[in-house]
Amino acid sequence: MTIGRRFIPYWLLAPGAVWLLLFFIVPMYFMGELALRSGTFETGFVFDWQFSNFPDSLQGNEEQIVRSCWYAGLATILALLISYPLAYAIAQASPRWRILLLFAVIAPFFTTYLIRTIAWKTILADQSPIVDVLQYMQLVPDDGRVLATSGAVIAGLTYNFLPFMILPIYASIERLDLRLVEAAKDLYSSSTQAFLRVTLPLTAPGIVAGVLLTFIPAFGDYVNATILGGTSQAMIGNKIQSLYLFERDYPEAAALSFLMMALILVVVLVYIRLAGTDAFMGEEEERT
Amino acid sequence: MSETRTIRTLIVAALMLAAAVLIAACGGGDTVGGGSDEKVTTAKGGKPTGEVTISSWPGYIDPGKNGTVAEFEERYGVDVSYIEDITSNVQFFGKLQPQLDQGQSGERSLFVVTDWLAKQMYDLGYLEEFSHDDLQTVFENILPAFEKSESDPGRKFSIPWQGGLTGIWVDTAQAPEIRSIEDLFDPKYKGRITFLDEMRDTVPLVMQYRGIDPSNASKQEWLDTIAFLKDAADSGQIRRFADNSYTEDLTSGNVVAAIGWSGDASLIGRESVEWRKPTDACDTFFDQMVIPVGAPNTAAALAFMNFVYRPEVQADIAAYVNYVTPVAGVQEILVKRDPELGNNELIFPPPSLTRGCSADPNPPGSAQDQQDVTEAFQDVVTG
Repeated sequence: MTIGRRFIPYWLLAPGAVWLLLFFIVPMYFMGELALRSGTFETGFVFDWQFSNFPDSLQGNEEQIVRSCWYAGLATILALLISYPLAYAIAQASPRWRILLLFAVIAPFFTTYLIRTIAWKTILADQSPIVDVLQYMQLVPDDGRVLATSGAVIAGLTYNFLPFMILPIYASIERLDLRLVEAAKDLYSSSTQAFLRVTLPLTAPGIVAGVLLTFIPAFGDYVNATILGGTSQAMIGNKIQSLYLFERDYPEAAALSFLMMALILVVVLVYIRLAGTDAFMGEEEERT
Repeated sequence: MSETRTIRTLIVAALMLAAAVLIAACGGGDTVGGGSDEKVTTAKGGKPTGEVTISSWPGYIDPGKNGTVAEFEERYGVDVSYIEDITSNVQFFGKLQPQLDQGQSGERSLFVVTDWLAKQMYDLGYLEEFSHDDLQTVFENILPAFEKSESDPGRKFSIPWQGGLTGIWVDTAQAPEIRSIEDLFDPKYKGRITFLDEMRDTVPLVMQYRGIDPSNASKQEWLDTIAFLKDAADSGQIRRFADNSYTEDLTSGNVVAAIGWSGDASLIGRESVEWRKPTDACDTFFDQMVIPVGAPNTAAALAFMNFVYRPEVQADIAAYVNYVTPVAGVQEILVKRDPELGNNELIFPPPSLTRGCSADPNPPGSAQDQQDVTEAFQDVVTG
């Protein structure tokens, strides 16, 4: 009996471990193995520790990698600027409104991602009323367009990943104890000071989570660039897709995917370091 | 205590790793790619029943309630799942290739792909062969010009579906003066032109405009032409490289002209957009029906091939899609039905229309040379 009891924690861990094994470690193994093969598609790819695939896969793709960082970064910042006030407003609304507003945030998710992005293509067509208005407001040059520009791709990314930013921020603002803000004001802080020194630090975990949930998928996205972009808007996801489907250079595609995963991991680690683990642990950390 | 815990963790980790390697070893074959190891088989004929899945291009048949597919279903009692999921040869092949390599057809019994790809698939062992006894209607009605083809002299693995010309779709309301590939590079139309992401269509057309004969072009000439395209893409002249979705930009008026296929009028759906054979270049293609290895219900697929080669059925298809038909007797039927259609040069092209055209040529040289050219072109597409 005692032996059985000792193993209970492992049994409880088992489903998670099996999941991780099947859907992360095994695919990673295959991808790593593929990345070390050489040859052509016609003759077959043979495993021979071809480490040069890694540097080769970066060659000629530097521009798309930098561009992906820019696009994903800008989309994340835009999403944050839109989400924070929005999440704040939702959290402050009456419970009835809150549900309605939250529903409004999630509702677009009932339509698939692809269809929503294609819809934007119609909305932003060169001769659409929206573009006419933008031209009238001089936001777009008279002979200009919205589609097939960097702006369209960044806007698409922002739009598509917005809920991933709103929801975690909302969750952390909702938990915010407003009495702390009141207390700050009682102690003669201005509204700005109260926001910067009380509200913002207390809701930081939501911001950190939202930024990660937005930046990571936006970096690897290729749908927005395919549908809303033109000839000079390809992201690194498009490159990987092209390597797999069009050039059928599987080893290089796998190598590039691996490197991008590593890059993201480094970016995330640095970010967490800078943001501090406190931001993740939130109040719990401070109480101890 | 903590030491035993560390040891235990290590054991668990080692077990997980061992399991991963074991699973990987069971699942993985030794080579990836390099063609199917299965023997080439002959598609089985017989009485068609059950369900059959066909993959084709958008707008290539009338899939509606009174359309050709429904007629086939009714006549043979076969349940057809007709999917229009091919918008680009290379992309479709890229998606399905891993399955074909394992001898699986992705549940599909029939594909429609362009002849150069049909040949490539056959050479890799991804296609089944036909017994001509199962395709009697096909060989009774096929036009003599299509009885043989360069890629399949014995019609062992491909039966012509429809073909056409690659040229320019022009929005005559916006830019009626565009008549040549050269015009597409006029800075006036900056950002209002799309090119096809099919290398074998786009590059030969641009070569001809630049005075290069695609059928004899060297690898360097392919690469030079691609570099020329890259400049046009980087400068913003070319809005994007599109698959079959190029029609959408014409429909919504985003572009004034696009390189495109002669029969796509129904997909564009605008009166003012008209197809023109460029004055300085032309390219032809023919799409083929093929049966992939591992295809279920090949009897129904063969019956479908025979069915669409009945002149009266083919007349419906030709009238709906407006592409070049490979079936004899169709012109007579269409002339009677609708003289304008029956004399349409794009459905029944006179030899003068296609003379001297390139035919979706492959880049020259070894597999590695072709790969280099493909890579260079893809770098332009994903610029």
